[in-house]
Amino acid sequence: MRLNIRTLALAVVASLGSAATVIAAGDEPYREHYPQARIDPARGVNGDIGFSDTLPYWRNEEEVERNAKWVGDPNEQWKLNWKFMDLDRIDLHPGHLAVDEGEAMVAKFAKRNPAFFSCLAEGGAKLDGLAAAYPKHDAALGRIVTVESRIEHCAKTVLNEDIRQGTPPNNKIAVYFKSLSAGTPIRVNIGDGKVMEAYRRGEKLFYVKTGQLNFACASCHVPGSIMGHKLRGETPTTPFADAAHYPTYRTPVGALESIQERFARCLGQMRTVQIKPGDPAFVDLEVFMTVLSNGYPVSVPSAR
Amino acid sequence: MKTTSGIVAILLGPVLVLSAGAQAPADYSAYPCLSYTLPCGKIATRKPQTKTLAGALDGNAERGRQIAQARDKGNCLACHVMKGGAQPGTRGPDLSHYGNAGRSDAETYTAIHDMRTRNPETLMPPFGTNEILSDLDIRDIVAFLQASK
Ligand code: HEC
Ligand code: HEC
Repeated sequence: MRLNIRTLALAVVASLGSAATVIAAGDEPYREHYPQARIDPARGVNGDIGFSDTLPYWRNEEEVERNAKWVGDPNEQWKLNWKFMDLDRIDLHPGHLAVDEGEAMVAKFAKRNPAFFSCLAEGGAKLDGLAAAYPKHDAALGRIVTVESRIEHCAKTVLNEDIRQGTPPNNKIAVYFKSLSAGTPIRVNIGDGKVMEAYRRGEKLFYVKTGQLNFACASCHVPGSIMGHKLRGETPTTPFADAAHYPTYRTPVGALESIQERFARCLGQMRTVQIKPGDPAFVDLEVFMTVLSNGYPVSVPSAR
Repeated sequence: MKTTSGIVAILLGPVLVLSAGAQAPADYSAYPCLSYTLPCGKIATRKPQTKTLAGALDGNAERGRQIAQARDKGNCLACHVMKGGAQPGTRGPDLSHYGNAGRSDAETYTAIHDMRTRNPETLMPPFGTNEILSDLDIRDIVAFLQASK
C-alpha cells in the first residue's frame, strides 16, 4: 500500500508540471526507496526547518559559538552539522595553504596561456563571487558544470593538461576558486529548467536504495533514519548546507576532499559499486545537495 | 580549544594516512548502484525473501558474537547495543538481553535473513537475501542473541 501512495505522489508531482523525470514503472528494475521527505527547493537552506530542525543551532557563527558546549558530546555534537569546525577559520589549518597553492597554480597556468583564466572566469576578468552560482547549466557546453568540472574542462581545452576532478591539483584550484566567493550566499539557479531537472534526478538518487546493504543516502541523512543516531563511532547529520564547505581539508588523512569524493566514501559505507568524480549521477547529487545550501555562505577553506 | 584541534590534526595526520590505505576494494557489482551507465545501474534490488529455519538451530554463540560484531560481517553494532560490544549504534533496539524476550529461534532467523518480511521499510540490511551472511553465520548469531540474557 505504501508503494501505491508513493506512485501516486510522483504522479501528482508530474501532473503539476514540475521538471521531475518520472520514468514509467515498467521501464525500471525493481527498486526500493526510503520514504521521501518533503523538501521545497525554493527554501534553500531554510528547508532544514521542518526537516532536521538543527538549523537554529548552526545558522551563523554566533549560534555556533553559543552552542559550542556540544562539541565533543557524542549525543549533541551532530546538531552543529560540523559548523563548529569553522570556528577554527582564523587558525592556520592546511586548507588555507591549499588556497595559496591553488592561487599559484592558476597564476602559473594563466601566465602560460591567459585563455585559461578567462575560461575559468567565463570570459570575465575576475573569479570573485562566481563559485556561489555553481553548479550551473552551461548552455555552450550543453551540460551541468561544477567548479571542479570547469577546472578540468579549461585545463584540457586551453592547456591540454589533465587536471581531473577528484585529484589533488583540481581540488587545490577548486578551493582557491571557491575561496574567492567565501561569505557569498550560495545561489544555484533553480529558475533554470536544466538545473531543476538535475535537482530532481539527484533527489531521486538520494532516496533510492542500492548496494549490498540496501541503503539509500536518505537511510542516514533524513529525519527518522539513522540521522542523529550513533552509527558506531559516527553520527550522520542533515544534508543541508554541507556543499558550502567543499572541497574541505580532511584532517584525519591530511588531504583535500571534494564533495563528490565525500559521496564516494558514503557509497563505500553502503557497499555499492564506486562511481568516479564527474560521473553524471554525482553531478546530479551535487546539484541536489547544493540547492540545499542555497542562501548559506560559501565556507571555504574549511576542515572536517 | 581552537588551537588544540589544529595541533591534534597535524600530529595525527600522517599516522592515520598509513592505516587508511590498507583496505582492499571489494566487488559489489552484483548489487544495484547509482550509476546511469554501468550495468549495476540496471540491476534490480533483490525482493524480500521469507526463509524458514531448516532443522535444529545448532548454532555456536561465541562465533555468532564475533560475526555479529565484526565490521566486515554483521556489523550489527552499527545499530544495536549487544552483549560484549564496544561503541554501539543507537538506531535499532537494544539486543543485549534478547534472550529474555521469549522469541523463537525460527522468527529470529527469518528476521535476520531479511527484516523486510517483517517491516518493508526497515533500515536493517537483508543479511541473508543479499548474502552478507551465510545460513551458518545467521544460525550462530541467533544462538548468540538467545544466549544474551
Ligand atoms: C550508512 C550511513 C550513510 C549513508 C547511507 C550515507 N552517508 Fe553520508 N555520511 C554518513 C556519515 C556517518 C557521515 C559523517 C557525519 C556527517 O557529516 O553526516 C556522512 C557525511 C556525509 C557528507 C559530508 C557532510 C559534511 O558536512 O561534511 C555528505 C556530503 C554526505 N554524507 C552525502 C551522502 C550521500 C550523497 C549519500 C548517498 C550517496 C550518503 N551520504 C549516504 C553516513 C552515511
Ligand atoms: C542499519 C541499522 C541496523 C543494522 C546494521 C542491524 N539492524 Fe537489526 N534492527 C534495526 C532496526 C531499526 C530494527 C527495528 C525494527 C525495524 O525497524 O525493522 C531492528 C530490529 C532487529 C531485531 C528485532 C528485535 C526485536 O525486538 O524484535 C533483531 C533480532 C535484529 N535487529 C538483529 C540484528 C542483527 C543480528 C544484526 C546484524 C547481523 C542487525 N540487526 C543489524 C536496524 C539494524
